[in-house]
Amino acid sequence: MNAENISVIKVRELLMVTMPSDPDDPTISALQEKVLNAMERHEAKGVVLDISAVETLDSFFARTISETAQMVTLMGGRTIIAGMRPAVAVTATELGLTLGTVETALNVDRALDMVNKPEKQA
Amino acid sequence: MKSRVNKADRDKSSNRVSGDISSNTELLQRLVNTVKDYAILLLDTEGRVLTWNVGAERIKGWKADEIIGQPISKFYAPEDIEKGKMEQELREAAEKGRFEDESWRVRKDGTRFWANVILTALRDENGKLLGFGKVTRDLTERRQNEERIKKQSLEILEMATVPVVQVWEGIVLVPIIGTLDSQRTQQLMERLLNRVTETGSPVALLDITGVSTIDSQTAQHLIETTSAVRLLGAEVILTGVRPSIAQTLVHLGIDLSNVITRSSLAAGLQRAFNLLNTTVTSIPQNNGGGK
Repeated sequence: MNAENISVIKVRELLMVTMPSDPDDPTISALQEKVLNAMERHEAKGVVLDISAVETLDSFFARTISETAQMVTLMGGRTIIAGMRPAVAVTATELGLTLGTVETALNVDRALDMVNKPEKQA
Repeated sequence: MKSRVNKADRDKSSNRVSGDISSNTELLQRLVNTVKDYAILLLDTEGRVLTWNVGAERIKGWKADEIIGQPISKFYAPEDIEKGKMEQELREAAEKGRFEDESWRVRKDGTRFWANVILTALRDENGKLLGFGKVTRDLTERRQNEERIKKQSLEILEMATVPVVQVWEGIVLVPIIGTLDSQRTQQLMERLLNRVTETGSPVALLDITGVSTIDSQTAQHLIETTSAVRLLGAEVILTGVRPSIAQTLVHLGIDLSNVITRSSLAAGLQRAFNLLNTTVTSIPQNNGGGK
C-alpha cells in the first residue's frame, strides 16, 4: 500500500481521509505528514478520518491516530474518527488501546454533523 | 433340590409357549424376520452377511439377495473403512464377547444415518467362534431432535443473557440482570456493538437496575464495554445506579467520571434525548382516551 494513493480531500472547511483496509506502518506515518501539511495549506477546521474499511487496528496505528489528533488540536482543528467496525472496537478494547481524546462518530455523515455543532461536553 | 425347581420352572415355561423346540425356533425365526425397527443379522467370522431381515432392508436399503455374502464394511463411511473400523470392531466383539457403537453409517443410496450397533460373538460349547450377531437401530431422528433442542436452548440462553433492544430511533437499551462475568461481557459487547452499528444508534443505554451487587470486576467490564462503544462513535449512558451501587462504586475507588450515569432509566432516556436533540412532549389528553 502506497501512501501516495491515500488522498486527503478538502471539503468546505474540512479534510476528509479514507483509510485503506490494511495500512502498513510507513503508510500511517506518511499519512500523518500529509494531514498536517494539508491542515496548514487549507487552514481547515478539522479532520474526518473514515476507518470503516479498516479490519485490524494495531498499537502503532492507534498511537499515530491519537498523536495526529493532538497535533491537529495544536493547529486549531478537531479530529473525528468515523465508522469503526464492531470487531475492531472489541479488539482495541481487549488490547487496551485507546485513541486518547479523539472524537468518534458512527459514520462520516454523523461526523459532518458533529463538526457543525459545539464540541461534546465531557 | 435347587436343580429340581429349575427343571420344573423350565418345564412349565416351555409348556406355556409350546412343548416343541423346533416350533420355538421357527417362531424366533419369524420374529427376527418380521421386526421392522431393528436390523438383525448374522455374520460369519470374517464379517460377511449370512442372514438379512425386513428391518435391515428398511434401515440400510439393501435387499437380501444383494447383500448376503458381502462384508459389513459396505455399511461404513469411506473414512471408517480406511481406518479399518470393521476389523477393529469384529476383533473387539470376539475378544470381549460384545461390542457397542454409535456412529454414522451409510445406506445403499449413500445417505448417512446415525446408528446404534451391537455386535455379539457367537460361540459353540467349546468356545469356537462361529460368527457374530449384529443388531442395528436407526437413531438419526433422535439425534436430530437432540441437536435441535441443544441449539434452541443455547439460543434461548444467549437471548436471556444479553438482550439488546432498540427503544427509540438512535437509542439502544441493554437491561443487565445478575452479575457480569467475562463471558457475558464478551457476548454483551459483541451484540451491543453490532446493534449500535446496524441501527446507527448514537446512544446506548446500559441499565443496571437488575444488578444486585457490583464488584470491581463487573465495574471493569462495564468500563470496557463503554470504551468499545465510544470507539464506534456512540455514547453510553449508565442507568439504574441505585444508592447501594453508588456507595459500592465509590468505596471500591472505581472511576466512572468519564461515563454519563443516571439513577433511573427514565432520567437516562431524557439525557439520551438531549444528546440527540430530540424533545418528547406529553401527549394531549384528547389523544390519550383511545377514541
